[in-house]
Amino acid sequence: MLRNTHAYLLLVFATLLLASCGGSDAPTEESEFAPYDNRAEVAQYYADHPDFFRFKTRSDLPTDLQWQDGSELPEIGSPDAKKGGMETIRLQDFPRTLRILGPDSNGSFRPWLLDYTTMALGHRHPDLMDYFPGLATKWAVDREAKTIYVELDPLATWSDGVPITADDYLFMFWMHRSSYITAPWYTNWYSTQYTNITKYDDHLISISTVSEKPDIDSKALELRPLPRHFYQEVGPDYLERYQWRFPPTTSPYLIEPGDLKKGRSIQMTRNTEWWAKDKKHFRYRFNVDKMNFIVIRDTAKVFEAFKRGDIDQFAMNLAEYWYEKLPNDDADVANGYIHKKLFFNQRPRPPYGLWINTAQPLLDDQNVRLGLQYATNWDLVIETFFRGDSDRLNTANDGYGPFTASHIKARPFDINQAQEAFARAGFTERGPNGILMREDGTRLAFTISSGYESLKDVLTILKEEAAKAGLEYRVEVLDGTSGWKKVQEKKHEIHFAAFGYSLELYPRFWETYHSDNAYDKAFLDNGEINPARQIKTQTNNLETLAIPEMDRLIDAYRASPDADEMIALAHEMSDLHHDYASFVPGFYNGFFRIGHWRWVNYPANFSHKHASNHLQYFLHWIDEDERSATMDARNQGRAFDPVIESFEQHRSR
Amino acid sequence: MRLTLTPQTRKKLTRFKQIKVGYFSFLALAALSLLLCLAELWVNSRALVVKYEGNLYFPTYGAIIPGSSFGLGYEYETNYRDLQQRLAGSDENWVVLPPVPYNPFENDAQGGILRPTPPDIDRGHYLGTDTTGRDILARLVYGTRTALLFALAFMVSVYVIGIVIGCSMGYFGGAFDLIFQRFIEIWSNVPFLYMVIIVFSIIPIESSIAARVIILLVVMVLFSWTSMTYYMRTETYKEKSRDYVMAARVLGAGTMRIIFKHILPNVLATLVTFMPFTIVSAIAAVTALDFLGFGLPVPTPSLGELLKQGTGNLRTAPWIVISAFTTLVLLLTIVTFIGEAIRESFDPKKYTLYR
Repeated sequence: MLRNTHAYLLLVFATLLLASCGGSDAPTEESEFAPYDNRAEVAQYYADHPDFFRFKTRSDLPTDLQWQDGSELPEIGSPDAKKGGMETIRLQDFPRTLRILGPDSNGSFRPWLLDYTTMALGHRHPDLMDYFPGLATKWAVDREAKTIYVELDPLATWSDGVPITADDYLFMFWMHRSSYITAPWYTNWYSTQYTNITKYDDHLISISTVSEKPDIDSKALELRPLPRHFYQEVGPDYLERYQWRFPPTTSPYLIEPGDLKKGRSIQMTRNTEWWAKDKKHFRYRFNVDKMNFIVIRDTAKVFEAFKRGDIDQFAMNLAEYWYEKLPNDDADVANGYIHKKLFFNQRPRPPYGLWINTAQPLLDDQNVRLGLQYATNWDLVIETFFRGDSDRLNTANDGYGPFTASHIKARPFDINQAQEAFARAGFTERGPNGILMREDGTRLAFTISSGYESLKDVLTILKEEAAKAGLEYRVEVLDGTSGWKKVQEKKHEIHFAAFGYSLELYPRFWETYHSDNAYDKAFLDNGEINPARQIKTQTNNLETLAIPEMDRLIDAYRASPDADEMIALAHEMSDLHHDYASFVPGFYNGFFRIGHWRWVNYPANFSHKHASNHLQYFLHWIDEDERSATMDARNQGRAFDPVIESFEQHRSR
Repeated sequence: MRLTLTPQTRKKLTRFKQIKVGYFSFLALAALSLLLCLAELWVNSRALVVKYEGNLYFPTYGAIIPGSSFGLGYEYETNYRDLQQRLAGSDENWVVLPPVPYNPFENDAQGGILRPTPPDIDRGHYLGTDTTGRDILARLVYGTRTALLFALAFMVSVYVIGIVIGCSMGYFGGAFDLIFQRFIEIWSNVPFLYMVIIVFSIIPIESSIAARVIILLVVMVLFSWTSMTYYMRTETYKEKSRDYVMAARVLGAGTMRIIFKHILPNVLATLVTFMPFTIVSAIAAVTALDFLGFGLPVPTPSLGELLKQGTGNLRTAPWIVISAFTTLVLLLTIVTFIGEAIRESFDPKKYTLYR
């Protein structure tokens, strides 16, 4: 009897232990943190910055404004789209936070929380680049005053039903400028790029920017408000307090309580009460009722899940999948269960390439970097790994039309030129294993790190080829999140990565090349290098590039109102960057291609000119009846017509 | 040192030879080890012998010979397959290539495309190529060699630590024994695989491949030596109370002498029977770590990495997983057979001196 009790106690203890482990994400958030209210602090901040936050009345509005509303722009998506269904989407890593600001927030889940789903005042039309209305009903640009007037949609509400008013925009500026969020980029952007926000009444605001740019309207229209009533508790503990809170949002998709299983899955449910569901440019999009995100690390496993029908769509930009694993004669394709679609697009190209950290020893030597340019055989990668489908990237800012310096050509793989450059840096003798050495025995060896597990073979090709030029690349393949963390902490030597650039008229240079993002005070006031400078982490200047001349050009570029002048400056900066050789341009895909099951439907034109991927604009819809019909047919061996389509209406080459 | 075998040992060896499965497995493993030691001679992109302009070259070992030495006009390592084709038809100059003329790192893009290709005897890819066109046989051979060497080093280290601490615990007993037992109980509950993953993920990447392998070894040893101590401790306890130990002590032998000269040879039987199984677990562990991506750095050839590629391409390139899986199964089976045979032939129920 005694023994039994003992066992029973142990069991209870074990259960308690398990319960306390498993339920750790359950405890009420309120009890975990002390109450906090920043309303007084925010009001005080407004009062302390009277030039920035202004309060006027409608009668103060200029009368000669030319209002526009973008309502004439064509609709997006297809009127055939049906709402409903559930789509399963793969995540490579579980997001480290649900915050959209602060450390770790810029991960691969952010598009679903913010970029793809939430509404801005206006959005660029994916075919025409002009703005169609989102949270705004109309807007007017006063170029001389560098000010945009925006009439807010009075119907707009947060997902919890609270109306979206001018105060949410004032608050957006406060929060982004606050040091609590630990997001230096945003703090800088909202502090330096804007000079004023004026509230005329609850649904009329004006926003003034620091400089008159060709796309001055985008500065205001792409702003996304923050729900002031939700962020009332933002304070010194913002990072922890908001780590896993899902905010009221303008997005059609919500994470409902209990739908976030840490480390495993997240479900997002379509908000059937979404205020914008009948708006012209939104009504045929966001069709899927439920998005079920599951974590599968290994791309090969994702493909197997897709082939089983567990995952609805699969991006096949890699030749390995498009040609080998799902060839046109694959049974599922030939019988019409899985459709293959290839779509050519036009947009800023993600700069896939090698980002050289010029703050590292040896890599601060221009000749070494030049040698790396010639010793890196991207052409072979494109030819053998991508099977000629991709093209060589020539600059870090390709795809921006006239702003791209198209006269610059990336340096080709050339062993002799590489060796000459290395020799100028003192690497003249080949060691016993063929790697160049300096006389003091320093070897010419660098680590290429990357968070792209599916592209690791690219790096082994580069490694093998570089050895011919006497250069050793050590390859370090990390998982996505750790790879990104490594570059954000600037601990890399050379990193293979790309930024996903949003659809903009012209490229940005400040983020990636300005010394402000390389060091804390890179130069002394007299222009000399500050001997005590510290590398600045958590910025996009992955090359730790700090050149006074570049700073000057960037400042001029940021201040210029004239498109032609900006183009000239962009070309000059691209030339400078090319000469500095701190980025080895890799490749870009002028297309995207996917495989999807038959029950996934797309508009007749498949996608829009400037789309970057198939999911971005939520054009597809899922037919659950077809899902069961397709699976039944597949089990019984009945075939459909195969669908393999190529959409070349926007092909540029 | 004289190699005299006691009658007991000789009996055990005879018994081992009589167990055919174990004995032939042992011979096979010995032959395999020899082949693997000489892997550079039969699986290599470097030629065995090159005769060029009257000079003989033996490129297999040593520094690289740049292409310019053979009039190829480049400073990096000679492509000997290419050289052989160029020199074909010439009597003066010739190249002898190894049977498998590929090293485990080179990407052989057939038709200008990198993809797994099925076994192709004419081209010298006897087991086909992996996803980036590297020869699977070459990667298997070098991967297995690394795994075996690793396992051997692992076994030796674990045993040295295990024997020293285990024997001391058994021999000294008392507080020393008590403290170490508790320590080992705690230590052995640290999850080994997780510790390896954690420690290995913080090793700086700048360290060379050899250094990384050694660190991996040290970490694995650090968390695996405990199991051996228990066996050694009980065995030593048992032997310590035997008359011959008493006699040795009476004759004035020191502690070290008693442990290593008198006790150790008598507990060796236990030790020997465990050896093959330690090797099996070491190979399995290092393969598992590679499979999970925490083992040897890219692009070191390894069984785990091949298995991972194979499982990722089950449908399109089954030859990858078949090769890797068969090798692993054969290797582990052979070693296990040897282990079983040793265990049986060393069974103290049949051949112990003291009953």
